[in-house]
This record gives sequence, C-alpha cells and structure tokens, in this order.
Amino acid sequence: MRVSSDKILHALGLTAVILFTLFPFYWMVSASFKTQADILASPPVWLFTPTLDHYREIFADSKVLGAVGNSLIIATATTALAVLLGAPAAFALARYDFRGKSDLWFWFISNRMTSPIVLALPVYILALQLKMLDTHLVLILIYLTFNLPIVVWICTDQFKSIPPDLEQAARLDGADQFTIFRKIYLPLGAPGIAVSAIFSFIFSWNELLYALVLTRRDVQTAPVVATSFMSGYELPWGKIMATGTVIVLPVTIFALIVSRHMVRGLTMGATK
Amino acid sequence: MTFLQLDNIKKTFGELSVIKGVDISASRGEFVVFVGPSGCGKSTLLRMIAGLEDVSSGMLSIDGKDVTYEEPAKREVSMVFQSYALYPHMSVFENMAFGLRMAKLPEDEIKRRVAEAARILQIEALLERKPRALSGGQRQRVAIGRSIVRNPKIFLFDEPLSNLDAELRSQMRVEIAKLHRNLGATMVYVTHDQVEAMTLADRIVVLRAGLVEQIGTPTELYDRPANTFVAGFIGSPKMNFLTASVTATDGSSLTLRHSAFTDGAMTLAHAAATKVKAGDAVTVGLRPEHLDVASARPLLRLTLDFAENLGGSTQLYARTDTDTVTILANGRPEIRPGDAMVAGIDPRHIYLFTPAGAAL
Repeated sequence: MRVSSDKILHALGLTAVILFTLFPFYWMVSASFKTQADILASPPVWLFTPTLDHYREIFADSKVLGAVGNSLIIATATTALAVLLGAPAAFALARYDFRGKSDLWFWFISNRMTSPIVLALPVYILALQLKMLDTHLVLILIYLTFNLPIVVWICTDQFKSIPPDLEQAARLDGADQFTIFRKIYLPLGAPGIAVSAIFSFIFSWNELLYALVLTRRDVQTAPVVATSFMSGYELPWGKIMATGTVIVLPVTIFALIVSRHMVRGLTMGATK
Repeated sequence: MTFLQLDNIKKTFGELSVIKGVDISASRGEFVVFVGPSGCGKSTLLRMIAGLEDVSSGMLSIDGKDVTYEEPAKREVSMVFQSYALYPHMSVFENMAFGLRMAKLPEDEIKRRVAEAARILQIEALLERKPRALSGGQRQRVAIGRSIVRNPKIFLFDEPLSNLDAELRSQMRVEIAKLHRNLGATMVYVTHDQVEAMTLADRIVVLRAGLVEQIGTPTELYDRPANTFVAGFIGSPKMNFLTASVTATDGSSLTLRHSAFTDGAMTLAHAAATKVKAGDAVTVGLRPEHLDVASARPLLRLTLDFAENLGGSTQLYARTDTDTVTILANGRPEIRPGDAMVAGIDPRHIYLFTPAGAAL
C-alpha cells in the first residue's frame, strides 16, 4: 500500500504543531520535579531523579492554596454569569429583529477590541473610589466585561445554525419564547455554550494584568502569586513551575469535562 | 359550511407584495391543495394560515372564529414542514409528546395519544429512537405523527414529500390520502408537483405570483382550465400550444388556419365561435395524451425530433415549422427522428384560448 505524500506532510505538520504546543507544558511539569541544579544544567538533563520538594514547599505555603481558591471562585463566578447573561442575549440577537440590534452587536464586539492596558488605570481609580479594591467582585465584574462579548459572539453564531423551522414547529406546538430557548436552543446550542464557557474560564483563570492592578493581599489570584516568586535576586524555578502545574490542573479538568458537549452534528436528523 | 375562510388576504414584505388579495374557502373535512411554481406565494399563504407569518391585510377565520391575529398555538392547527423540523435531541416519543406536554395534558393521556398515532403510522418500534437514527420516510411519519396527536382542526402540509425519493414519495402520497380518509380531517397541502395535487386534492387552488388563477376539482381544472397557465400547469407532459388564426365563423363552428394543419385549415364546432371573428388570433391547446399518431383523420403534419421510450408508452417530441409538439403515444410507434409524421385528435379535446391566455 502506498502512503500518499500528502498524508506524510499532514502527519509531519501535525507532529510539529503538537511538539510546539506541548513542549513548554512538558518543560514546566518536568522542571517542577527537578532540583534547582538539574533545572539550570546546561545542556539540559533529560533523565533525573524526581523530587517532590517544590510541591511540599508550595503546599506548605498557604498563599498558593489560597490563591488557587480565589482563582476558582472568580473564574467560576465569571463563567457562570457570562453564560447566564450571554446565552439569552445571543438568543435574542440570533433570532429576533429589534431596533438598535446592529449597534448593540457592534458594541459587544468593540468591547473586545479595546486593549486591556488602556483601561487599567481608569478601572483602578474607579475601583478605588467605590472601595472595591482587593475584592472578588471587582475582578468578576471586569472579567465579565471581557468575557460576555465572547460568549454572546460564539453563542449567537451557534444559535443561528439551528434551523428556524424547529422554533416554528415549537411555536405551533404551543411553546412560548422562554420554553423554546430552554428546550430547543440551550440543548442544541450546547457545543457553542461549552466553547464559550471554556474560553471564559481560561481567560479569567489566566488573567494577570487586572489581577495585579486590582488586588493587594486578600484576593490575589494564582497567576499573581506565581509571578510573585520572581522577586529580588532569586529565581526559584522549581517552585514557580510546581505552582504553574498546580494552576494548570483545574482549568485542564474543567476543559475536559465541558468539552464532552463540544460534539458536532447535534442538529443532525432535524431536517431532511 | 365554510370551515376555513381566507378573505382578501394580502402579504407584503416592505415594498414587495407577495400575496395580492386571495379569497379561498374550504369546508370541514376537505383536502385542499395549493399548487403553483416556486415563488408563487403558496408556502407563504400556508404559513399565514398557521400564524407563522403575519397577515398584512384581510381576514382569516377557522371554524367560524376570526384568527387573523391569533397566536399560532391557539389556532389549533398543526403543520408538517418540508424539512420535517423534528427536535433532534428528543426521542421520537418526546417529539410527538412535545405539543401535548405544552398543553399540560396528563401523562397517561399523552402516552395514550402518542401510542395511537404511532399505531396509525406504524412507527411503534421507533418510539425510543432519535431522529438521526431514522430514514427519510420514517422521519416523515414522525413529523406527521407529531401533528396527529394534537388532534388539530386543520392539518397543514408544506411540500412534505419533496425530500423523498420517487418510490417513497408515491407510497407516502397514498398514506396521506388514507390518513385523510380515516381521520376525516381538513387538510391544506402545498406542493409544486401537479401529480400530488391531482391525486390528493378534493379541490386545487392554482396560484401564480400571489394571485389565485383558478380553484376547482382536479377534473374541472384538467377539463376546463381557466387560462393557458392552468392548462399548462395541470397535466403532464405539459399541454401543447399553437397560435392559429380564425378565417371564418358561423355561430356554432369556426375555421382555423395554421401551417401545420393537414388541410391548412380545420373547422371545429366550439362555443368560442360566438366570441371570435375572422382575422382574430387564437391559441390552440392540445394535450400530449390526446394526440394520436395512428389517427385515421390526422390534424397535424409534423417532423419527429426525438423519441423517449418509457416502456409502455413513448414520448415523442415533434415540430411544426414554428413550434414543438409533445405527444404521448401508446406502445412504440415505428417512427425515426427526422421522419415526417401525423397526429390526430378528437375535436372535443381541443382547447381554445385568447392570445392573452384566457379560455374561450
């Protein structure tokens, strides 16, 4: 059997992409199990005796666990709110015509075009005057501002792909708008909602700029704590990498759970 | 008594007028078919009856009640969509039960009704499946089942068979006819297929460009089309039209001239004799199935262009000096392309129209 050169190129390309994306991940996880000497060795050490010292160190440090807890609260709340508010908005944008629809749409999208750093100082001053600095709420609100457009955008697109005949059949069956949304659009739009939830969660989980600007001590998030190790003259790579690994775990688990809903062809069999 | 009444119904989309004033009435238990070419407004009209499109002006009533501005669900109609529109994430049972659940019927009543509809449509074995695990014909049955369970006042069908292959289509056509007979329900059926219209309808409404061209039983439409559009639309293959000129009339008969007539002219007893005068042009309509290539008194001299063998019959495409004439001949006539041939017709089967198309 002859394997076509197309397939070989395809496989090579795929391998390159996988190496490119997974190598840093491998580097982080493996470094978290290396001693500082092994980490700094040049050329790099590929075979080493693993150590759990860095993990013992970070779990002994209440700051890390607290920060992961803060991140969980903020990312979960942001994602839940973004989906709760974004999905109905997307339903309206996808299926109804109303005055100012295109302006509203542009406003949603343009929110996303603004560079976050531009707003960092005004938002800081606002939060200061409202006495909201160093609270979960301020981060949830600011992340919602960035995540809502993404959720609305993805979900609108997803809802638009649901055949309008289904909604009309449901109307004839006596379903009201809310029932149509709940019984038809939510289950059939699940892939889009899942994707937007993952985006929303990852964004809120990883966000560093606003977390640095708007928090002091009580509500520091995981990325803030991880970077805080890089201070003074010391760079404790093992500890940073171990923290990084701990930070990546929840978001990976969340993405794996939610991605079960990301199946194609959910509307197959509806029409024709 | 009139059960469904459409009174000067109009529909405009902005500047565009789609339905331009339509009057239709149907009695209880009647099977009415809307037929017409694509874009004639037949689906829009059906969706207006369903309440899925607003009525721009006019009045619509069902069972004596004005429902022009009524919500779709309150009209007690059900619709089978061209795309079937089954809920893909629900089982067949849930698809059929959805409307009943919306009406908050008790669970045992829902089960009873779905089981009854499933029995009628022979889909009892499929109730637990999802739509994607069904064939086209099975999906069609489920879509019909979903409309049966609600026991509606009117069944609406929007080109329900157009996604099926030819064999399944004729099978489902028979089933829909049976269903109509067994339920005795009022049905409004939209199609562009004149065979479906002829076989299913008690009455056919022929639509063109948002206007009713003619309403009548299939036989009326076939025998007495109001104009060349209806004459051409009803019947397959399409009616042949030749333009002839009147040379003489005498009150009960008229003489027509056309270069393809065997004698150069033909004298015909026809009621049109009183409506035309010498020198007028008329359109002569001849149905392909009425033309006889073995006639003892041929009317047309033709040249054969092409023949299609349909097995039991042959479809002949012949030409005069100016027009093409289609003939549906029994068996396999021994004529070759390029051969000269003749065709005759029973004079009672000759249709006459004005040049503008109205029946004479």
